[in-house]
Amino acid sequence: MGITRRDFFKLSAAGSASLMAGEALASDGAQTALNPNSLGVLVDTVACIGCRKCEWACNDANALPTQDLKAFEDKSVFARHRRPDAGAYTVVNQFSDPRDPSKKYSMKIQCMHCNRPACASACIVGALQKTPEGPVVYDAWKCIGCRYCMVACPFQIPAYEYDNALNPQVRKCTFCATRLSQEGKKPACVAICPNEALTFGKREDLLIAAHSRINASPEKYVDHVYGETEAGGTGWLYLAGADFNNTELPKLTATVIPNLTETIQHGVFKSFVPPLALYGLLGLIMHSLRAEKNGKEESRHE
Amino acid sequence: MKLFFGLAAQISIVLIVAGGASAQQPQGNASMPQIQGKINCKECHTCQVPTAKEPCLKQCPTLTMTHTKSAHALVEAPDSLLIDEIADTYQAVHFNHKRHAGMAEMNDSCSVCHHYSPPGHIPPCKDCHGNETNPNNLRQPGLKGAYHRQCLSCHREWSHDTKCVVCHLPSAGRPLSATGDDSTDIVGRPHPVITTPAKKVYDTPYKEGPIVTFQHKEHIDLFGFRCVDCHHQENCSYCHDIQRPATTSKTQEQVHAVCNDCHKADACAKCHDTKERPGFSHNQTGWPLNPYHNEIDCWACHPTGKKISRISRMCVNCHAGWNQENFKHAVTGLKLDETHAQMDCTDCHADRKYDADPVCKDCHDDGRTAESAPPGIKMQHRSQ
Amino acid sequence: MNNTEAPAVMPVKYFSRGTKVLFGIALVGMAAYVYRLLFGIGAATNLDDQYPWGIWIAIDVASGVALAAGGFTTAALAEIFHKEKYHVIVRPALLTAMLGYTFVVIGLLADLGRYYNVWHPMLPSMWQGNSVLFEVGMCVMVYLSVLYIEFLPIVVERFKGRVNLPGPLHVFNRLFESVLTISDAFLSRFIFLFIIAGVVLSCLHQSSLGTLMVIAPTKMHPLWYTSISPLLFLLSAIAVGFPMVIFESILASRSFKLKPELPVLSSIARYTPVLLGVYLALKIGDLTIREAWPYVFEGSVQSYMYAIELLLGVVAPIVLLSMSRVRNSVKGLFVSASLVIFGVALNRINVFLVAYKPLYPVKTYFPSIFEILVTVGLISMLVLVYRFVVVNFPVITVPNGHVLNAAVQPERTSVVNINRIVR
Repeated sequence: MGITRRDFFKLSAAGSASLMAGEALASDGAQTALNPNSLGVLVDTVACIGCRKCEWACNDANALPTQDLKAFEDKSVFARHRRPDAGAYTVVNQFSDPRDPSKKYSMKIQCMHCNRPACASACIVGALQKTPEGPVVYDAWKCIGCRYCMVACPFQIPAYEYDNALNPQVRKCTFCATRLSQEGKKPACVAICPNEALTFGKREDLLIAAHSRINASPEKYVDHVYGETEAGGTGWLYLAGADFNNTELPKLTATVIPNLTETIQHGVFKSFVPPLALYGLLGLIMHSLRAEKNGKEESRHE
Repeated sequence: MKLFFGLAAQISIVLIVAGGASAQQPQGNASMPQIQGKINCKECHTCQVPTAKEPCLKQCPTLTMTHTKSAHALVEAPDSLLIDEIADTYQAVHFNHKRHAGMAEMNDSCSVCHHYSPPGHIPPCKDCHGNETNPNNLRQPGLKGAYHRQCLSCHREWSHDTKCVVCHLPSAGRPLSATGDDSTDIVGRPHPVITTPAKKVYDTPYKEGPIVTFQHKEHIDLFGFRCVDCHHQENCSYCHDIQRPATTSKTQEQVHAVCNDCHKADACAKCHDTKERPGFSHNQTGWPLNPYHNEIDCWACHPTGKKISRISRMCVNCHAGWNQENFKHAVTGLKLDETHAQMDCTDCHADRKYDADPVCKDCHDDGRTAESAPPGIKMQHRSQ
Repeated sequence: MNNTEAPAVMPVKYFSRGTKVLFGIALVGMAAYVYRLLFGIGAATNLDDQYPWGIWIAIDVASGVALAAGGFTTAALAEIFHKEKYHVIVRPALLTAMLGYTFVVIGLLADLGRYYNVWHPMLPSMWQGNSVLFEVGMCVMVYLSVLYIEFLPIVVERFKGRVNLPGPLHVFNRLFESVLTISDAFLSRFIFLFIIAGVVLSCLHQSSLGTLMVIAPTKMHPLWYTSISPLLFLLSAIAVGFPMVIFESILASRSFKLKPELPVLSSIARYTPVLLGVYLALKIGDLTIREAWPYVFEGSVQSYMYAIELLLGVVAPIVLLSMSRVRNSVKGLFVSASLVIFGVALNRINVFLVAYKPLYPVKTYFPSIFEILVTVGLISMLVLVYRFVVVNFPVITVPNGHVLNAAVQPERTSVVNINRIVR
């Protein structure tokens, strides 16, 4: 390998310059504050009557396979806990108050549209993204189908079209993002809810409304707005009449889920310094040991 | 020139108004109610800078008015209402207000539904609840939510059903009324009059005294209990729940809970006995009630709001105005003869001890008593 | 370099009884692969919304990448630290890495729902700097290219001055000859850049594979959920590199009836207890700091798997390879190396499958027959390609004293042989 030390440094410099171009990419995005106008929905499970009309409206708005609205009056589905899947972005489940099991609450489950979504942080191509308006949206065209979002989601929401061989997609609540932005409407589930158990608005206003509902009827609500802090805050917020531990919503701390991986990631790639330093170090070792060896060989030849 | 003056005048008006507003601000704050928690100003006020003079309060101060007791009587209420906001989608809903009000009487009356019922006129729901959720007060549901919450809070409780058709008829159809003999189908039936049993006798597993006699009527008539005082948390579903299991076993604590509201400190024998007990009689207290006292409410003599206890037997304890001149002895059941009527009270009732036997021996040596030789005519009372 | 120790093509028939069996398995695996492509992941696997990742990720990808680490550790030892005596194992290790990564990608494609979009991470418009997977993907892609470049000198050595394309392709002979000459000229000067790049890229993505599951704190069993997971992954990858080379070298010498390179293998085996020791110390220290010891004894499947991983896969080989008697016996080396490989592969399976506890499971995941067939088929295919390469390219060095006439006249030897095309 006929190369001088000077050549080596020249090459390393050229390499680092080209890598530097990617620096902005590696360091961006970690701590973006939530848009104060970010939208959300407040789910009041005390006001929810479990009529399942949101399920129908969701299927209808998202062109999912569905049945007649009347078919959703069937309450026997509450016998088991259902989860959203590729054919249903939202489902209503029932849970009972442990203090009085005859007291039943209904709870709608869908994507929480986290402030700092783990799915979007995990996504290899940015097919899942948190929009400034609030919804976490999916772009099937970008998606490669690795399903890392499903591993990452702390609410286990993204579902997959496993039975589609050619064009499978990740399916989850869209927050009716196109209805919101292009038609200026509320999400389909919110619009149909007869009891207005779903309230649509700015997340900040919803938090005020949620606390004010708790304060006005402390006998009806537990003093906890689920999603205010959970996983760093979620766009969809929940009120309940009994402890959230009895619901399907997982117990989460305020820690932003993708914080740790992003910190590790950005630490390893901080301005590409650590990889380049390693590269330089290894080059130096290689070069110096070679010189040492050559010297020995020469002396042996003499 | 004219233009200039006009402009100057306008500017000065603006300045005065602005100054006035800032001066009034602190006064406004001083009289504001103390509200707990985080509340958006816009929840109560319509303007940016409310003052004491111009608080620009909204029509419905719902925050402080939730579930206030209503001062309205059932007779004021309309018989029936037509809810036809979405008549293009569904037929108008015929709401039988009178029947619902009648059912509400079993509970907290008007305020069961009308959480804001100030004296005078009870505002209809749509006075406060707009067609959409109020964007300035996301706590308040729109009219759709307001109606449905009122109806469904009871309707789904016993039926576990949320079918639209219970209230909304999609096209020309029969008006809502009870059909068939299904006892759980209670929609459209007037609630039968609730009868109050005189007493209830329970056979309990308590060995020392299995029989408990509950004087139901006595608790209402003597102690003035309202139904809800004991039957708390009883709603439609308490009787009509189609899913409630026929027999529910209660714990010992649950069984005694209602009685313990008042009788917590009492021993078991207070209620438990080996045989059925008669109802309460004032004779047991050593103060048999005369026909007049028998007629009146317990609380006319016993202090209200306290556990009933022994009170002074002195007439003046209640009849504060009685004296020698105006007291008619006949009310005691003995009309004094002329001789005795002239005498002083203390001549017979030594030391004004009216509950003790009168003293005759001061004048009569023959050993007579008021019983053997009454000092007048015994009155015949009307029977109870 | 000593002439008697030059790498040579293996003078054996390509088809043996074992090869035919492997061909059968590979064919069945290929059929399963086609089945997945035609009917989708749902039809072929037992994956569901609760278990989005199965053995295709845990074994084909995660274990595959780890076990291909021999390529970079050997390169670092021989080329960067200039330990000349290990040059004999550089080429087999390089070939293992190259094929290993190739099959990692093939396995990954089966698992990707939209495999035709696999190139998307290359588009700057879709770069996602926050994604650990993005970094793994990019590094693997670049490293795979680097590996092919590193392999080029072997191709040059085999064909330079001997390009002889059959039939009408004859006209391209000169073109190919000049391509080889230019590559040779370029690579002899600059190959060191790629060698260093290969080591750096390996360190990056081997560790990042460990970061992948750190994004699921609520779903991971505490025995494996740690923020130093990337470091553990890197250390275990480095530690498994030499055992993998030992394992293969012994298998190859058995297969090609060569004398095992015992002195070299015993020599690199000395590093393994040290590397594994550091790994073990970190793992135990981490467990202690996180106060996760009670989970080791909780009696769950996870706790047993953890114990097996650590005792059989880490502690046992440390003990075995610390004994010179074991290091100097072929059998001892083979057993110890197998244990390390088993331990690291099990670690990857544990992290990606056993430790993963979905929030609302309906059933527990166990791979379907198709998943197993694809995985086993790919491994068989890898072995077959490996054998094909070593009988056609000078990869394996024949030890001193072994005279291989055939090596000088390769055209006599193989049935499926690239020489036919070249002749």
